[in-house]
Amino acid sequence: MGNPADPSQVEREKERELITRAQTGDRAAFAALVRANQDEVYTLARRLVGDPHLASDVAQEALIRAWQALPKFRGDAKLSTWLHRITVNTAWTHKQRARRHRSTPIDDYREVAAPMGADHPEVAGETLELRGRLRAVLDRLPDSQREVVVLKDIYGWSHAEIAESMGISITAAKVRLHRARARLAKDLEETA
Amino acid sequence: MSVVCELAAPFVANSAVDGGPVARPFRAHAVSCLKCQARHAAMTRTARELAALQDERLAAPADLEWRVMSSLEGDLALPRTWRRPLAWSAAAVSMAAAILIWRLRLKTS
Repeated sequence: MGNPADPSQVEREKERELITRAQTGDRAAFAALVRANQDEVYTLARRLVGDPHLASDVAQEALIRAWQALPKFRGDAKLSTWLHRITVNTAWTHKQRARRHRSTPIDDYREVAAPMGADHPEVAGETLELRGRLRAVLDRLPDSQREVVVLKDIYGWSHAEIAESMGISITAAKVRLHRARARLAKDLEETA
Repeated sequence: MSVVCELAAPFVANSAVDGGPVARPFRAHAVSCLKCQARHAAMTRTARELAALQDERLAAPADLEWRVMSSLEGDLALPRTWRRPLAWSAAAVSMAAAILIWRLRLKTS
């Protein structure tokens, strides 16, 4: 049994209450959930699509989809995990839509994307340098490779989860990851 | 730079991130090659940094909450299933009113 004074337990109960209220149509409760989760949703979207403006659209649509799907949310998974899945699916949809409607290939977004991290608090010396290079190299990876690295090596998804959400086989997911890591290592070596 | 090192590089990277040994065909080479060991060490640090990125949060655009909530306005005003029948009813009522006005005008003229 959890300690009632445990801050994380209190947070979870508060979140559970907000979810229950939002499920019955309480807009203020949903706004509170949006405020609590928007940075996380935006961060994942930004890492998946690279471009900040596109990431903002993806985050907006993901949160709207979350509102629409909220009555079906049973609370088996954490809300953040559930939102991650919606964000990933929304990012795929946006990419497909962009491929259909834009003359500019979506991969070109990488060229105009500002390097991630300029707005981040300082982390000391070498770590900061490596992290900065890592963000830049991640942004330059082809979309399909960046997505698997983000989901597997940053967010810890399994090969099966990645394969399911991307609509590819587990083997294909492993191959993409293999190539992505090789390229990441090579690019980091070159920028060192 | 040895060709074997280049062939082994993706397997060295995988081993560093996943924490297992380098895949068999390159295991013996990677154990004895300083270049591959250096790459392994570098990729291990990279893997740690990648994992650390999970806790990093970028600030969402200041207007994101407003954009989300204002997008919901229409959604909340009416349940989605009611929208189409209501639109048809409104169209039918408008048409009936137009016909009625037209007939009244015909009668009066």
